[in-house]
Amino acid sequence: MYQVTINDFEGPLDLLLHLIKKHDMDIMNISIEEITKQYLDFITKMEEMNLNIASEYLVMASELIEIKSSTLLPKKEEETEEEDERENLINRLIEYKKYKEVTDQFKQLELERQNYYTKPEENLNMYADASEGLDLGDVDLNILLEAFSKFLVRKEEEKPLNTKITKKEYSVKQRSTEIINVLKNKKKVYFEELFETNKKDYIIVTFLSILNLVRKHEVNIVQENNFDRITISLRGEA
Amino acid sequence: MNLEALLEGILFVVGDEGITLTNIKDILEIDDETLKETIKKLSLSYSNKERGITLKVLGNKLKLTTKEEHKEVYKKLVDVQDPNLSEAALETLAIIAYNEPITRITVDEIRGIGSAHMIRKLVSRDLIEEKGRSELPGRPILYGVTSKFLDYFGLSSTDELPKIDDIEENDEEVDLFNSKYKEID
Repeated sequence: MYQVTINDFEGPLDLLLHLIKKHDMDIMNISIEEITKQYLDFITKMEEMNLNIASEYLVMASELIEIKSSTLLPKKEEETEEEDERENLINRLIEYKKYKEVTDQFKQLELERQNYYTKPEENLNMYADASEGLDLGDVDLNILLEAFSKFLVRKEEEKPLNTKITKKEYSVKQRSTEIINVLKNKKKVYFEELFETNKKDYIIVTFLSILNLVRKHEVNIVQENNFDRITISLRGEA
Repeated sequence: MNLEALLEGILFVVGDEGITLTNIKDILEIDDETLKETIKKLSLSYSNKERGITLKVLGNKLKLTTKEEHKEVYKKLVDVQDPNLSEAALETLAIIAYNEPITRITVDEIRGIGSAHMIRKLVSRDLIEEKGRSELPGRPILYGVTSKFLDYFGLSSTDELPKIDDIEENDEEVDLFNSKYKEID
């Protein structure tokens, strides 16, 4: 006899629908206790058969147990919440069933479509090439030579120039003094205003300088709200 | 030049890619009325028993196809039939077709199982495609069905998708598990 295994299902919802069908339950009035028992029995059986069980099946198992356990607890005002969870599950099942059922019609359409054939698109590239091809006209060898030497000159000009690259080093000390000077001038600056150049080392040194100045209690940093702009001012002048 | 002959030629050239009506009008430089007339005439001449091809609108495009009644003969030419779509693929396609544009997460939620792999497969088969991005956090990709999807199921446009709500009403008649999952133990 054919034994249904977990591999026959497309997911936990599919398995639930199968169990509901098999035990003649009404989807709108499923007994959570009964369906949970059936579901767990099935999963256990699959585990005994050493079949791989996708995590989604276990998530559903725990959801079922949760709904079931909340039905067992003495009912208080939370009754509605537990009803909601059950309703939620039923709605998901109904929604899923809708698509599951329509696949049969798609299968039918798929078969019907296989009753006639089309052919691949023609490749018209050869015509495209011909119309856009080179028109050589009356070109003689000298013109070609001339063009080629012009090309060589141009190539020469395109060569990268020799140049020396010097690296400017930033020090935290130097940058700190700069920041202090800026603050003396402007009293207050926005945090991002201190990062004028978009160079990595410059940004790092500036950031370190700000941290260092804060540590030494030379500046104040203020941010009114989350994600507001940060303002920096000299200590004692804010 | 004869319009029917030109139309026939164009349809031959575009093959299974098909061509939209607007495109034909542009190429032939004719108006709606003339196009309709031309299609009608061509289609009439194809309806003759002596002709082996016919006109069909698939995925919003006009295409030449063979006739259904000749299938058995052509079958002999086909070595291996492409395998039909799996249950999981059909299910995923149906969810996307009725809800497009839709994110993968929503498909996962409806199916109750991860669909990332299946969606990749369907994209590579050109049955679904990216249709922009959602405004949700992370701007997830929105998927929708392609013109090839419609062709694959012989539909001329998404309006022809099987009606889902009807199915819900005829719940009794559709008995999905009947055949496949009849008995265990």
